[in-house]
Amino acid sequence: MDTLLQAFEGGVVTGSVYALIALSLVIVYKSTDVINFAGGDILMASCYIALVLLVGWGAPYWLAALVAILGGFVIGAGFDRLVLERIARRARGQDIMIAAVIATIGLSYVLKGLVRMLGYADEVRSLPAQFPGRPLFLGNVIVLRQDIGIVLAASLAVAALYLFFRFTKLGRGLRATAEDPRAAALIGIPVARMRMVIWGIASALAAIAGLLVAPKILMTPDMGIIVILALAASVLGGFTNIPGVIAGGLLLGILENLIGLFVSTQAIAVAPFLVIMAVLVLRPQGLFAGAARMKKV
Amino acid sequence: MTRGGKPTVIRILAVLALIAPLFAAPARAFPDGAPSGKYSDPGITDTEITIGLFGPQSGPLRNFGYDPMWAAAAWYDMVNRYGGIWGRKIKLVTDDDKCDPTTLNTVVRKMVTVDHVFLLNGGSCTPAAVSAQEFVTREKVPFVMLNAAGDKAVFPPTRYVFGAFGGTQLTVGGTLIDFVAKQLHFKRIAYLGNDDDFGAANLAAAKFMAGKREVQLVATERVPANVVDLTAPMLRIRQANPDVVVITAYPQPATLAMQKVSEFGLTMPIVAAVQSVPNPAALFKNVNDPAAFKNFYYGSPLNDLTDGPGQQWVLDMYKRAYPDRTPTAFMSYGVPSAQAVTYALLLAGPNPTRESFVDAMSHLKFETGIMAGPIEFAPDRRDAHNASIFIKYDGTTSTRMPGVYVNEFRGE
Amino acid sequence: MRAVWIALALAAAGLVFWMPLYVLYVANLLLMYAVLALGLDILVGLAGQFAFAHMAFFGIGVYTTGLLGNRLGVSFPLPMLAGAALAAIVALLIAIPALRLRQVYLALTTFAFAAAAQWVFHSWDAVTEGSNGLRLAATRVLAWRIVDDRDAYPLLLVVALAMVLLRLSLQSSKLGRSMRALHQSEPLALASGIDARRVKIVAFGISGLFAGIAGGMLPLFNSYVHPDTFGLEGLVAILTMIVVGGLGSTFGVLIGVALIGLLPEVMRDLQVLREVVYGGLLILTVMFLPQGVAGAWRPARA
Repeated sequence: MDTLLQAFEGGVVTGSVYALIALSLVIVYKSTDVINFAGGDILMASCYIALVLLVGWGAPYWLAALVAILGGFVIGAGFDRLVLERIARRARGQDIMIAAVIATIGLSYVLKGLVRMLGYADEVRSLPAQFPGRPLFLGNVIVLRQDIGIVLAASLAVAALYLFFRFTKLGRGLRATAEDPRAAALIGIPVARMRMVIWGIASALAAIAGLLVAPKILMTPDMGIIVILALAASVLGGFTNIPGVIAGGLLLGILENLIGLFVSTQAIAVAPFLVIMAVLVLRPQGLFAGAARMKKV
Repeated sequence: MTRGGKPTVIRILAVLALIAPLFAAPARAFPDGAPSGKYSDPGITDTEITIGLFGPQSGPLRNFGYDPMWAAAAWYDMVNRYGGIWGRKIKLVTDDDKCDPTTLNTVVRKMVTVDHVFLLNGGSCTPAAVSAQEFVTREKVPFVMLNAAGDKAVFPPTRYVFGAFGGTQLTVGGTLIDFVAKQLHFKRIAYLGNDDDFGAANLAAAKFMAGKREVQLVATERVPANVVDLTAPMLRIRQANPDVVVITAYPQPATLAMQKVSEFGLTMPIVAAVQSVPNPAALFKNVNDPAAFKNFYYGSPLNDLTDGPGQQWVLDMYKRAYPDRTPTAFMSYGVPSAQAVTYALLLAGPNPTRESFVDAMSHLKFETGIMAGPIEFAPDRRDAHNASIFIKYDGTTSTRMPGVYVNEFRGE
Repeated sequence: MRAVWIALALAAAGLVFWMPLYVLYVANLLLMYAVLALGLDILVGLAGQFAFAHMAFFGIGVYTTGLLGNRLGVSFPLPMLAGAALAAIVALLIAIPALRLRQVYLALTTFAFAAAAQWVFHSWDAVTEGSNGLRLAATRVLAWRIVDDRDAYPLLLVVALAMVLLRLSLQSSKLGRSMRALHQSEPLALASGIDARRVKIVAFGISGLFAGIAGGMLPLFNSYVHPDTFGLEGLVAILTMIVVGGLGSTFGVLIGVALIGLLPEVMRDLQVLREVVYGGLLILTVMFLPQGVAGAWRPARA
């Protein structure tokens, strides 16, 4: 029973990790209809920015973290401003989206390649945990303080984003832009600048997620592959449904651990892919949304 | 297909320009193997012998091949400074195989059919090495692997392929159990490895040696290389209540496992394989809990700690060749294969051929001054090294444990 | 004029036969990539379906061909045809549920399928030898054996040419025109009476067939294959080839294969930059040359 509870706890924590990263993807998707396949690598690059400052320049942690988050913002906003905007102007219709996705794949490779050239990439690395200390005990279940921090951060992020999209001028503007860009432009919303800001915010969120989870999942230039799990979480949750995506992440994390306990550890590797396929084919609106409300492209 | 657009002449010229790189490869008039004059094999003259040296210089596995390859180059450099072999200087052709079978195939073919090397000395990754086996056997080119474990390329042995200078994965698995049984005297062993060919090989050897030493594997967990959460397998290991946990997984999963050891407050000893711990200090820092390292050991095919007295001459040799670089963990692993090549060339006499070189290699046995055990080949044996030492590490001090441990499993 | 062009190309192809084995191996690789890329382009470039399961079908082709050759010693071209048929069938089966999805969801699902397929190649030890990799026996052609790159080259050339011809005839056929119409505007295509769903499924199947043939080509000149070959990196390389070369254009795809395929050979000393160059090429091409090199070469098709 203890084993089961511990597996559950572990699942909730990794699930929160997936959810945090998924949030970054969903924000972009809700506002621009583009799935950012480079999300995981933006996270990775931000972590390495922090690492370079910490280890290479001996900077204090708060500075390294700040620069990393800013760096994430700049990468995302810059990518949108320099690349995506140009694509949006040149191509038409659904070709924009295909081109945009190809561009994010390209960004992913560029980031990986650049980080590998840094000289910190040869070994497994980590960042200092924000909540170090002796683990706590819930009964016989072991809970790390960092784990609690991750879950709290994920919850805070959800709440903040929900409020942001619901109640702030910028947030409402972004939703309007996503739903009907032309109408939004007509009302005087600076669509292009909004998009840039949203990419920046989403990438900064990815950077924050990275700083939180790097101590837990460790850093290599290939750590961006975790975006697959975030995508699976988003699919489970219905992609545009923020609370749904959180639930999806948690579900995925717990599911992985249960599979690991009751099936085999090897099967864990294929689980997210099966989830993506099963949900998209059987219930494309995700487990937690209402009736099917797929965007017509 | 041609409708309007630019003039056809320009198009033809452009197409030729695109195909030109295929011809621009430094191809000589002769297709394959250009033996010159009195020598029947390519890559050898009165004053020079050409060796093709390669390994992963880029990509995710660069750590396993960059320093080993350049350490081998430093050895050849030293040999040249002492006058070469039978009056011939060693000329190196170097390249990057990225640990990828396709890339290695092109590198090997280029070195043999364009650069006309006398022999091949390279490869730090097993699948890449195996993919070249058929070609070198067909073309009868000696292929001495660098530091690849090379299990599938040396078992079953074939004439032209030599390897496992740091030990195969069989060595890794077998010596781990040997150490646990003989030195630590434990009976109940939990195993954590990867679910790939490395894991399969070292687990097979571990099972064999467990039978021989009359100890028991009470838990066997095989994890994917890119797993991010080891909660489930470590829980199962905890449940099995072992006396000791043996880890052969790659650095990332190994670090995650040690984090779980710290998290779960596990107190039993941990013994890790050489591939799991390229940098013990980094592992210690990443786990950040001295309690987890109270009884932590790791294996090494070397004869000493990487900065111990036994390794000093290799470090000096490397420093002399590359004064501005700091060697990484696997640097000295590249030297034994270069040593073997050198000694076999010496033994093959003043006018070596590829065949006489291979014959010399097939009877080679020598102490490297680097590895825990001797390098030893035989007409039916192509895995050079089969021994391991163990080191106890607690975060501040490394202590070499007594004894040299040997694996007895050589496959079915 | 076209005759001169073709004659020159054939002469160049013939000359390669006398080159060192290194050149032949690279040429064989390019021929295989050409078939692979043409196949992906049929789906992504011609029909405009953003689907990424290609490497799974490639793998099915490789393992089927390899195992039929290894275990039963069946002569060329039967194992290749069997592999291609199996790949095409699986492609059709996947297409049916997958094509109900829109664009990016289609991309996600097909990508997940490819990843799951790679996991199968990696884990099904009994059949594929898993991560030990599969040794491939020399291909039998009736009474002879294909032993080295020089033996394999003419065969691969013939197969590649056949697939290019197939692709060209597809492009100018009614089906091809339907695919293009679908790509341009699905509502418009539907309005003009095209059975969009059927065209998409057929495109998927043909694309899988090409991937399966390419898979059958691999054992002709390789003695070993490892499941890592069928992962994301390979897909991105092929995608880069068709994007840089020109989506929807046979000529463009072949240019892209030549450019990207020769890049590692030309960039020998700068391998460290490889990922940056690939990624950069993808980004720059979609930004500045949306029709690829072929599109810059000639005016875009109406």
